[in-house]
Formats: sequence, C-alpha cells, structure tokens
Amino acid sequence: MQPYQEEYIQNLKEMITLAERKMAAGCSFEEYQERLSEERQKKKEIAERNRNLLRENLFPLFDNLFDAKEEEMSGLEEFAKLLLDGKNELDGGLFCQIHQALLSRARLLKNQRDVIRELYWLGIGRFHMCNKMVGLDLAYTESYMSQMRLCFAEAAAYLKYYDEIEDTQTRGYILRSRANTALGHFKSASAKIRLTRQTLRIMNDKDYQEKEPNLPWDRYIFMTHQQMTSSISYNRENDMTSQDVADIMESAHIVYQRRIQEALSRKETLPIKSAFICDAIEYYCGLYSLDELLAKMELLMDQADTSDFSVESMYGILSLPAFYCQYLREYPEQLNGRQEYLEKLYERAVAYMEAFPEGEANEQIFLFLRQLSSTFLETENSISYGEFQQKLLLCFAPDIFVHGHVVGRTAAALCEVIMDEEPTFFDDIEHICQIQDAQEKRQKVIAYAMECGVFHDVGKVNFMSLFSHTGRQWFEEEYEMVHLHTVVGSSRLSACKSTQHYADAALGHHSWYDGSHGYPENYRRLESPYRQMVDVIGLVDWIDNRMNATWLYGGTERTYEEAVRDAIALEGKRFSPLLTARLRDKKVVEMLRDVFAEGRKEAYWTLYREQQ
Amino acid sequence: MECISHNDNEEKKECSTVEREGKEQEEILQLRQQNLELKAALEASEAENRAKTSFLSSMSHDIRTPMNAIMGMTSIGLSHIDEKSRVLDCLQKIKTASTHLMSLVNDVLDMSRISSGRMTLNEEEFSLADLIHDMTIIVRPQAAQKHQEFQMEIGQIYEEKLIGDPLHLRQILVNIIGNAVKYTQEKGLIQVSFSQHREKDPAKRDRQVWLDFCCKDNGIGMSEEFLKRIFIPFERVNNEKISRIEGTGLGMSIVKNLLDLMNGTITVESEEGRGSCFYVSIPFVAVTGDEEIYHLPEGQTVLLAESVDSRAEQIDAYLRERSLDIVHCKNGMDAVTWLTEAQYENRMPCALILGQELADMPALGLASHVRELAGKEFPILWVAEVDWAQMEYRAVRSGVDAFVPCPLFKTRLFSALSGLTGKEIKDKKDPVGNITDYGKYRILLVEDNELNREIAVELLSVTGVQVETAENGQQAVEAFENSEEGYYHLIFMDIQMPVMNGYEAAKRIRQLERADAKTIWMVAMTANAFVEDIRLARAAGMNEHCSKPVDMERMHEILRRRLRE
Repeated sequence: MQPYQEEYIQNLKEMITLAERKMAAGCSFEEYQERLSEERQKKKEIAERNRNLLRENLFPLFDNLFDAKEEEMSGLEEFAKLLLDGKNELDGGLFCQIHQALLSRARLLKNQRDVIRELYWLGIGRFHMCNKMVGLDLAYTESYMSQMRLCFAEAAAYLKYYDEIEDTQTRGYILRSRANTALGHFKSASAKIRLTRQTLRIMNDKDYQEKEPNLPWDRYIFMTHQQMTSSISYNRENDMTSQDVADIMESAHIVYQRRIQEALSRKETLPIKSAFICDAIEYYCGLYSLDELLAKMELLMDQADTSDFSVESMYGILSLPAFYCQYLREYPEQLNGRQEYLEKLYERAVAYMEAFPEGEANEQIFLFLRQLSSTFLETENSISYGEFQQKLLLCFAPDIFVHGHVVGRTAAALCEVIMDEEPTFFDDIEHICQIQDAQEKRQKVIAYAMECGVFHDVGKVNFMSLFSHTGRQWFEEEYEMVHLHTVVGSSRLSACKSTQHYADAALGHHSWYDGSHGYPENYRRLESPYRQMVDVIGLVDWIDNRMNATWLYGGTERTYEEAVRDAIALEGKRFSPLLTARLRDKKVVEMLRDVFAEGRKEAYWTLYREQQ
Repeated sequence: MECISHNDNEEKKECSTVEREGKEQEEILQLRQQNLELKAALEASEAENRAKTSFLSSMSHDIRTPMNAIMGMTSIGLSHIDEKSRVLDCLQKIKTASTHLMSLVNDVLDMSRISSGRMTLNEEEFSLADLIHDMTIIVRPQAAQKHQEFQMEIGQIYEEKLIGDPLHLRQILVNIIGNAVKYTQEKGLIQVSFSQHREKDPAKRDRQVWLDFCCKDNGIGMSEEFLKRIFIPFERVNNEKISRIEGTGLGMSIVKNLLDLMNGTITVESEEGRGSCFYVSIPFVAVTGDEEIYHLPEGQTVLLAESVDSRAEQIDAYLRERSLDIVHCKNGMDAVTWLTEAQYENRMPCALILGQELADMPALGLASHVRELAGKEFPILWVAEVDWAQMEYRAVRSGVDAFVPCPLFKTRLFSALSGLTGKEIKDKKDPVGNITDYGKYRILLVEDNELNREIAVELLSVTGVQVETAENGQQAVEAFENSEEGYYHLIFMDIQMPVMNGYEAAKRIRQLERADAKTIWMVAMTANAFVEDIRLARAAGMNEHCSKPVDMERMHEILRRRLRE
C-alpha cells in the first residue's frame, strides 16, 4: 500500500475516534466547550488532509486510468479492502469509487478475470450503501438495489463458462456473486426465493464441486441457506407458494441445526437470531399463533445480555424488538396486555444506547438502530418517538442533535417576531388556527417552531455514518443519497401520533419557495397547510448549515453575515420574501445571531450533562 | 288551363264559373299552405327563441362561473401581491378558468359555423402518429389529475400518413376522451384504442382506409333516454354527480356535425352507473408513394427488455416484419445475464430496446449498467410512455441513445432503430436519434494526458464536430484569445493540468474583454468527484461538470444540447 493510502486510513480511524469520544468526562462545561472547539478544528484538518490526499494521489490516477501501471492499480485493491472488508466499513463511498474505476479499466482492457472480481466487490460496496436505506419504501431504494444486483448478475452470468475459467479465485467470485443476486429487498417474495433456490441447486451440484474442490462449498451452501431464511418476512405479504415455504423451512432447519451444534460445542445457548428465525418460520407455517410467537420472542429478548455489546446481544436488544414492534403495528390487537413489556423494551434499548462503549459504534449497530427507528410504536406510557430519537442522536450523532436544537431555538425566535407583526401568519395550520386566545396561539406557534426544528432532520439517523464517520467531503452519490433524509424523516414522524405535525417540516425543509429547485419531489409547497412553518425551518436550517452543520462534507463554510446576505439574495426563489423581509431588519438579524449562539450553547450543555 | 268548347256562350259561362271556382279553390289552398307555413315559421321562430333563451341562459351561467372565478382570484391576488405563493396560486386558478372560458367561446363559434354551413374541412397530409401523440399530451395529464388509469392501445395500422383535417380530427378525439375523463370518477379507468380497416369498395380500396377509434370508460354512464338526445346542442346528463362538472353541452353535437362533414360515423353504448363506450369510424385517403426507407440490420438480433406482454408483443411483431430476431427478457437481471453471455460468445445483439417497465427494476437502472457492460457504441433505445422533455437528462445520463414515445408506431420505431444501427448513417448519428451533422461547429479540448486526449478526440470526432486541442490551461487561454470571436462553440476543460489548471484557465477566459468570453460554454472534465469540485468549477466560470473517465454519451448529450441551442 502507498503511504498516502496508509495515512488516509489512519486519518479515518482518528476521525471515528473523535466522533465517538465522550469529551465531557471529568471537565467543566467551559473546558468541554473548548474541547469541542479543538475537536472541530481537528476534524476540519483531517477532512482537509484526506481530501488533499485523494486529490493529489488517487484522482490523478483515476484521471489517467487507462495508462496507469499495474502495480499502482493492485495497490488500490488492498487500500479498498481496508475501507470495507465485507463486514466492517470505514469508507464505503470511496470503496465504491475505487472498484468502479477498477471495473472500468478491466472492461477497457477486456480482462475478464478482473471484470468478474471488480463486479463482485462493487456489488458488495453497493450492498453496504443500500443498507443505509433500511426502512425506506422500495420506490426510493429500488434504483440503488438494482445497481447492486446487476453487478452480481453480470458476474454470475459467467457461471455458464465455469469450465473455461480455470482460476479458483474467479470461480469463487462467480459463485458468490450468484448467491448475492438475491440480496436486498425485492418486489415479490417469489423472485427472491426463486433466485436463492437456483443458487442452492448450483452450490449443491457435484459437478461444480468436483471441478473446484478447493472452494469452501460448505460455507457457500450454509450462507445460501441463511440467505433463504431471510425471506421469511415476505410471508406476511401472502406472496409465497407452498414450495417457497417448504424451501424456507428446509433452510431454517439446516441453519438451526448448525447453530445448535456450534452452540453446544462452545457450551453456549442457541444464538437469538437463529432461534427467532426458527420460531418465525414455524409460526408462518401455522404451527402456532402470533400470540405464541410474540411470547417466544419475548423470551428471546429477555435472554439478551444488556451489559454485552457483541452483535448477538445488540440483535436481542435492538433488532429483535424492531421485528416485535412490526408485528404489533400490523396486528394492533396483539398490543393488549403487552404495553408494559413494550415500554420496558424501549427503556432497555435507551439504557443500552447510553451505555454503549466509546469508539465501538459501527455499521452493525447503526443498522439495528435504523430498524428500531423504522418500526417504532408509541403507547400511552412509552417513551415518545421524539424522545427516543433525541436519545439516539445524543448517543451516536451529537452534531445532528445540536443542529436540530439550534434550528428549533432560532426558528422559535423568528416566529416570535412574525407573530408580533402578523398574528394570523400561521393560520393555515389547523391546530394553530383553532386557538382563539392570541397569547395562547403565540405560545403554541413558538413551541411548534421549536419542535419542528428539533425533528426536521431525524431522517439523518439512516445516514449516521455518513455524518459522523466520513473523513472527507462527500461524493456526489453520497450527497444525493443524503437527500433521502427528508423522506425518511417524514415517513417516521407521520407514523407516530405525537410527531405527525412535524412530518412536513422534515419533508419540505430543502424545497424551494418557487418550486424551481430543491427536493424531494413529493413535497408540494402549495398543497401543504404547514408551508409557512416549513419555510421558516428551511431558512433557519439553511443558515445554520452554511455556518456549521455541513461545512465538513459539503465544502461550504460561511460567517453568519455572509449566510444572511446569501439568503436575502435568494429571496423569492429559495426563500419566502415574507421571511427574508425580516432579515433586512438589523435588529432581527442581531437578535437571531444571539439566538443561534445561545441555542448552540444550550445544546452543548445538554450533551455535557448526558456525558457526565 | 285549357277548356274544350261545345256551346260558346254556355260554354263560356260554364268555363268562367269553373275558372273562378278553380281559382278560388287554388287561392284557398294557397292561403292554407301559407297559413301552415306561417304557423310552422312561427313555431320555428318560437322554438328558436326558446333555444336562444335556453342558450343565453345556459351560456350566461356558464360564462359567469369562470368569469366570477377570474375576477375573484384577481382581487385576492392583488390583495396579497407580496406573497408570491398566494399570487401564484391565484394565477393558476385564473389560468384554469380562462382556459375553460376560451373553450366555451370556441365551442359556440364552432357550432355557429357548422349551423350556418360555413365550416369547411382542410385536406392536408398529416401523420397519424404525431396526431395521436399530440392528443395524448393533452388528455393524459387530465386523467392523471383525477388519478385515473389511462390505457391506450394501437391495433393494426395500415397507413400512418393520411390526408384529411388533422385539427378537427384532434378536436373530435379530445372531445370524446375529455368527456370520458370528466364523467369518470377519480381512480376510474379509461381505455382508448386506435386501429384501421381497409375500405370495402374495391374501387377505393387502394387509397382509402378507415380509422377506427374506441373510447371506453367506467364512469357515470348515460340513461337510454339521454342517449337519444346526446347529439342535441346544450344537452347534458342530468345527474347530481356531475353538477360541478363544467361544460356547455355543445361538445358532442360538434363532434357529430364534424363527423358528418367527414363522412364518418359515431355510435354510443352506455349504461347508467357502469360507463360509456364511443365508437368512431372515419374514412381517410392514404398518402401513397412516399414510403421512407429504413436501413434496418435485417437478420440480426435485438434484445428487448420489457415486462408488459402487450407492448413486447407489439414491438416483437413490428421487428419480425423486418426480419429482425428478438430475444425478450422481462427483467433486468435476465437481460444482463443474456448480454454477458452474448458478449462472451461474441454474438452481441445489434441493439437493446428498453421498454416501459421491468419486473425487477426501473428501466433506466438497466440502461446505465448495459452502457458500462456493452460499451459506448452499443445502441440503447427506450420505448416508453413518459414525458421525454422531463426525462431526457436522466435518460441520456443513464446511457439511452434514442427515445420512441408510446403509443408506439412502427415508423417511429424503425426510424430510431435505423438511425442507431443503419450503417450508412451511423457515423453521423445524434445521441437522441436525429441525424445531425456537427461539421460546422468547433470545440476546444483541453487535456494534458495524451491518451485521454486521443480518446476524447476520437469520441468527439464521431459526431463530425471539428476538435482542436490544447495541452494545458495556458495554451487554452492563448488559443481562445487568438481566435476570432465566435470561433469556438464549446470548451471541454480538464482540471488537473501542468502550467495552468482548468479553474484558472476558465477564470482567465471569462475575464477576457470580448463578447464570447462571457458566453462560451465551458465543461469541466475531472475525476475529482467531490461536490465541492462541482461547485469550484462553477465558481471558476464553468457551466457544467463531466466526470472522468470520459463518457461518450455524456459528451454527446452536451454537444447535442449546446450546439442545437
């Protein structure tokens, strides 16, 4: 590996350590603020350095891809492997960029062996990107999923020429690609199961095995069975044939038996995930009722060790409860008598998040947290969805928490000014319009603005690693993917009673006032009764982003004055002239500047207390 | 009257008496006739008066409704003049109301022309494909607004170039489909089909075809009683469900009158609460002796990726007619598997035809992968029911070479396919299927790497454009400065270069004191993929960004877009 690659990796690791360090321990609030400031400076230096490392070394290589030397290219493979080794992800975005470049080169040089290998690794990279979209509708994720799947499909197509390709490693890539064509979410269960079934047939074919005895066939077959068992959730959609169910049962049995044997040999109990899969498939086959399945799940969840932070325990404390809640959401009658248990589950999950060791956060826990967020179920006495999100951000994405708080505080201050001048300004919002008493209405608007600000970016939970672990600027693809935080946030907030009024703020805060630009497409400003508040959040969010939040990843950093001036320049286009008119008032501008600073200090104080 | 005499006097007397009586009777008959005529005239006049009264009453109500909206919205807009969104909202409503008002006035004028016999039909050559496409653009958004499913099928079409009155034909079709949309509930279904049959009369058989049009909906339908009066002016279905639906009740009588003038026929079947079905048949003279010649690669294979069977069958039938072999895949993964095998076995198809839908992924997702897999020269044609103006940017970036809109006509399919695969014209093909010679345009390509420069020159030269090169930013600035104004039409600029980088060069060019320095379109070419790089390129004065490795499709898309403008 080249020195710049080693340095890049080292910087990335330092960035992650910085992001997860709980700096408040054993210091005063003033010292803590100073540490935050130093940390910010350090992050800035790392991101800048990494960006330059890529600019000066990697991109020129991409620039001259077609006449680059072999040794330069082979060093890239090793570098990419450190960025994402199939499980642990340091920088999935750069991993994809590198393998995309290597694939282009292999295609140009008509080197089939390399094409197959690069297709496999690019597929793996895209799979990790797809995982960031857990909980989103297929409509949003389909294009990402298909890009991943087509890589595997192309590599798998070489299976027809298995005899002609006499290289063990390449044959391995072909077979693994074949198995991976069934990864991810499908429109129909049958399509996924059909693919997995075909893969199992291939893997079990003696002819293939005898020609390449050096490949780990047993592992391939077992992993394909695991893949098959991941289809159980489709059963809820009643889209399976009896053959499909039989195939899944068979695979579940094999996986279960293997896990039991492994557990016995280690003198341990059966892993929670394997046990759940077995219980679930038996439920789907009608061997027992949903009530019984839920009871079995409760037993499994209770087994999880809250002081252990292995994947197994994380699964029992964060992921399995997500499936449990999904059942309860689909069959609300099952909630009767389970509220208390559910409330405790969330309490336990929050305590687990809070106790999570510094520097241990990884894609796996982020995935489980995404699952838990996307199936969240509020009950009368449970923690609210909003509180849960706040806890989550405080533990794993403090920057997003701070930004939300600052936007909320400043939006509330701007709304005070507006309400003083125009008390009916927000009367398009039904729950505001209904309030007769002027003072009460004013207070309600201010509180509503605060909450909208706090919740407008909750969708970023899906992309936590991009916000906290990226030690460079984002690539265009990442930037576009992050746009989906509006859709994620809106869908999560609208699913819970306590937060549904904030959904439009999450959805529309990146839209443009005149509709000419911005995202997402499904926010139509004129049709939203909340549009005046969404406009407020959009403006304040934009100013804070220019000054603070996305400076690291988007390459824009402005002073407050510059941001205000830029906002006024976008009057009538990006921002409502009714709002930018207020930015022409010097007093208001001064006041907002103070509120931005105060809001930030308050948010840091909350973080400080949490970390004590 | 002629009389025969036997006794003069007597005869004269008798004759005069008979004459007088005859005259009297004649006068009586005449008077009776006049009375009858007067009575009829009076009745007609009274009926006309009643019709006029009814017309005026109906019209004044129908005119007042949109006029009220226009006036009301204008007042609201004026009182919220500072709030752009409110004004925009008002303007949109005013636009809707005035469009309706205009159609009302047009209907009345048409009716008046028809009843006074002043309506004449044009006899001009027109393309049925274009006409149906234009009509679809009008009616599809109307149906989409009510979340209705709008299906259109094209059956057997013998002649696409016809002679007739396209304007009034379109009016007939839009009126009938427009009514179907109006009188069908939200999320309802509207099915439209077009086909042709040959004239039965052997004398006319060679030149005349009948266009058969059918429009079926599952809307509110009509009673038997109303069906008898459907073509009478101002008649509208008396149904509380449609009290809010706007209309003059003139549309169907205009349709009937226009069809009479065209020697066409119309029949209607309907059932209240179940929906209606209109059948229209119109004779047209076909344009003969003007068939276009398409250079299709007969005997070769085309890969078709489409999950909708009916569409796939239609494309399959058209291509087989021209001796092309079709391999049909319903999903993207199968298409990629087949293409990979074909590439390995050196039997690549001559093109990929991408349909509207795939079972497992969005069509454009497949396009971008196939572009990578099969290379830059491999033709990808998209046959779909989308608004190309909206999708063009994404489609071209995904690797689509040409687009054929649906409903599908074979001449359009053949034209696009021959444009992409025809040997004679392939070298001059435009990335979206039109043949364009860029020979008169000049491009400055700034790239320090020799191999990259060669590749880019080769890719650009395919289009016929004149390419001049510079090896660094300094050379580029000098080349531009030393050229005559307007000499270069486009600059492709690498960023990382020795002597002077692309940003600096772009800035210097923009600073030059000559008119074209401000307007020349500059495209940054770089492997730097950060969002900030795109921003930096813009800040340096460049107009857009094209990522490396150089993508021919992207370059061609830029050429086509910029040079056409």
